[in-house]
Amino acid sequence: MFEGLFYLFVFPGLAFQVFCGLAFEWVDRKLLARFQRRVGPQWYQPLADLIKLFSKEDLLPTGASGWVATILPLISLAAVLTAGLYIPVAGFTPFSFEGDLIVIVFLMGIPTLAYYLAGMTSVGIYSILGGARSLLQYFSYEVPLLLAFSGPAILSGSWSVAEILKSQAELGPFILFQPVGFCLAIAGLIGKLKRDPLDIPKAKSEVVAGSLTEFSGGKLAFWHLTMDIQAIVGIFLLINLFFGMPLGISPWINTLIFSGEVLLVIFILSASSSIFARLRIDQLASLGWRILVPVGIIQLLFVILMGV
Amino acid sequence: MFEKMLNRTYRWAQKNSLWVLPFNTGGCNGCDIEILDLLTPRYDVERMGILAEASPRHADVLLCTGPVTYQTRDAIWQIYSQMPSPKWVVAVGSCGATGGVFTGSDTVLGGVDKVLPVDLYIPGCPVRPEAIIAGLIKLQEKIVKGAENG
Ligand code: SF4
Repeated sequence: MFEGLFYLFVFPGLAFQVFCGLAFEWVDRKLLARFQRRVGPQWYQPLADLIKLFSKEDLLPTGASGWVATILPLISLAAVLTAGLYIPVAGFTPFSFEGDLIVIVFLMGIPTLAYYLAGMTSVGIYSILGGARSLLQYFSYEVPLLLAFSGPAILSGSWSVAEILKSQAELGPFILFQPVGFCLAIAGLIGKLKRDPLDIPKAKSEVVAGSLTEFSGGKLAFWHLTMDIQAIVGIFLLINLFFGMPLGISPWINTLIFSGEVLLVIFILSASSSIFARLRIDQLASLGWRILVPVGIIQLLFVILMGV
Repeated sequence: MFEKMLNRTYRWAQKNSLWVLPFNTGGCNGCDIEILDLLTPRYDVERMGILAEASPRHADVLLCTGPVTYQTRDAIWQIYSQMPSPKWVVAVGSCGATGGVFTGSDTVLGGVDKVLPVDLYIPGCPVRPEAIIAGLIKLQEKIVKGAENG
């Protein structure tokens, strides 16, 4: 019965992921507010923001290409939704195949490219700066992130997320063997989501809102939705790769464990965005290539040589 | 019937998610500092869904502080026309309302309503943060009742 429920509610995708994305945004903002000793937003805040954006007028500067600007958020939303389809939720996965980790990583890269193009199409100076910065940032975080993701894959001998999950049920959570890899993955995820210490492409005090400066109304709403869903998909992926869970017991318990792990990762993300200040783009590049990549390679060598 | 429901949902969302764009039209910076207070833990307006945005295209409310000078007149109009409607304008401080202590200066045009359709005046020199919050709540009530400019 439980499996039926899962197929009914979780894997059609859109509704579940939109719900999770909005819930993520609320939990994240609330946690951030509590870290700063504020009250924080109401529970319906992300929903209200989204509906409000849809109710607003849709403007673009003269010279910007309308249909490109419309299609970019839709493409990136479709990409992250598709990526979410292949990620096991609480141990269930209907669409898994060998190598789906690579497909997921590829699909999760599309929004960054779309973000860059969005900056370029909407002619404003801040948008162009934000777009260029987002590409620079992409080159800094993507390699450590991939190195971190390949650790669990090599350890379990498979590039399918479901297989990695299964081998964790036997060996134990991979975060015990690869704590460094997990930290790299968190850093990479923060960079991917353009969250606070690495929000260089959309830094409010420097480039207004980055690529999205000139977007309004429905397009902006789709961008916000994309960001939220990208966050939740990234978090799900991280959990499947590094935490795992004992499979084969009651699905209720699995769901419980899964939700707990999701909350834990959100906690880590919010805490790091309230603790650290924003880096400069050159600092990020040198952090990425001088520290994170070598550390990632050492971690990977360790995994290969030890075989643990 | 459906349209009515949709409108009510939109109103509810607009009420609960006011993104403000503070803009100094030529004041003494006193009111701007009081506006920044709103984001601090003591007043925290995010609990009412109010966020400060930096881009006019994301904003719903233009918070104008200070009198309009001849130099900012065109800029403020440009910013206002970049905001997507429905949009609202709030004049913060005595200067925003009438020109305040700067009245009669040969570089000052007068209150914000000389240039833009103002929805709400919040008096005070400088305005207390509590007054700004009270004013924004009044604006929320106005939105639910369905008044809009632009
Ligand atoms: S109202 Fe008073 S504090 Fe505000 S800008 Fe005018 S002079 Fe300054």
